[in-house]
Amino acid sequence: MYLINLVDYTIDFPESGCSFNKMNFALSRDDAFAIIGDSPDQAHMFLKALAMLVKPVSGDFYFKDKKVDFSDYRNLLPCKKKIGYIASDSAMISNITVRENLLFTRYYFDDSLSLSLDETATKLCKNFGIYDKLDIHPGRLSSVNLRIAIAIRELTKSPDLFLFERPEDFIGHTNFDLFTEVLRDMVLTKLPIVFISYDKDFIEEFSNKKIFLKDGTLSIG
Amino acid sequence: MDYIAGYIGRKASSATNHISNLFAFTYRIFVLIFQKPEAGRALVRRISLEQVYFTCVQALPIIIPIALVFGSMLIIQFTKVSGQYDLGKTMVMLIVRELGPVITAFLVILRSATAVAIEISYMNLFHEIDAIEMAGIDPMRVVCLPRLIGITSAILCLFIVFDLVAIIGGYLIIWIFTYIPMGDFITQIGKAITATDIAVGIIKAIFFGIAITVTCLKHGFSVKRLITDIPVGTSKAAVECFFYCLVINVIISILFYM
Repeated sequence: MYLINLVDYTIDFPESGCSFNKMNFALSRDDAFAIIGDSPDQAHMFLKALAMLVKPVSGDFYFKDKKVDFSDYRNLLPCKKKIGYIASDSAMISNITVRENLLFTRYYFDDSLSLSLDETATKLCKNFGIYDKLDIHPGRLSSVNLRIAIAIRELTKSPDLFLFERPEDFIGHTNFDLFTEVLRDMVLTKLPIVFISYDKDFIEEFSNKKIFLKDGTLSIG
Repeated sequence: MDYIAGYIGRKASSATNHISNLFAFTYRIFVLIFQKPEAGRALVRRISLEQVYFTCVQALPIIIPIALVFGSMLIIQFTKVSGQYDLGKTMVMLIVRELGPVITAFLVILRSATAVAIEISYMNLFHEIDAIEMAGIDPMRVVCLPRLIGITSAILCLFIVFDLVAIIGGYLIIWIFTYIPMGDFITQIGKAITATDIAVGIIKAIFFGIAITVTCLKHGFSVKRLITDIPVGTSKAAVECFFYCLVINVIISILFYM
């Protein structure tokens, strides 16, 4: 069973001048893909497409062997919930505190506002040094801490697939080892990952396959 | 001539499209009111209450003085012609039926509607709506629905506050600070006000709330790429809201009083 299967998938992103024409891509449970490409925009767009944040022009998207219907965004929500996404366009909701952001999904699905952070999230917040900043709004965090908070939110959402872009820049070099450690534990549980990185050691350690993107075409190596 | 006809046609077509979109958007939010999923109730309730606080409670220090000024100003003017008109009836006609809802709506547009339009534009532009979707949550349910409930309830409350303060407060100000004879003003108001006046006030408040919220949300969600689109969208939203409120006010007044 494929976790994600793209069949003749065409996407167009006119702002960045990127497009993929009739690409085919399949991702299984134990896959760890590193995206290698000349254009960062194209790699980012591919990651967005996997996160279902880009509506396709044509083609089929299968998530856990079920065809995803893009005609209504609400059909995508149960799939998106199972995807961890850390990229340059990841954001936190600015009108609630960092703690509320980390608890937002649970607030909604557990239908309770009297929840506290679970053990993993608390541990990550302490390890990454943002535990004392949980009760302020994201806008008051430094950009590094904001990105760390986003990463913690995504790491703790128990994803079925984890997508991330340049963790060495996103998390910052000082916290990169910590992130690598957490990711290592996650990968041991056979969590499929797709990532963009310019850190060769990171690519070697975490990927078992590579996606080569060139001029809107995709090849697997 | 063809150019002018074409221009008018394009504008009319675009306006019709925009209005249809607003109605469709309103329908989408209304469907959510009647769906009762187990998840998210506490969160929706909290965001709705926060919206009531921002739109209603925080507006009280502004709306109360304005209502007092309007109430006392109208009482002063109409006591001068009290021989010709029934003071109570005139006050009810002006404040409860017309000025109350319109001024309340105008204040809500200035304070909250523009804020909501900016907030949603910002959330959309900086991928916060995407973040909500990536959490598996429908943004319509946690962003749009609470704002519709909150703003509509707030307008209804503010409208009641405005009417009471304008009539009773205005009366007290004139009674305390002037020697203008007003007769039995409160009794006259009591006799003049009808159940229809109260029902019309409530209906206007509800329709204003819906029109204001939906217009602001729609303009907020229309901002996709440029930060400079935020002020443009906000300005359009505010002007449109005011226009729609005036139109709704006229339609409801015609339906009930003509």
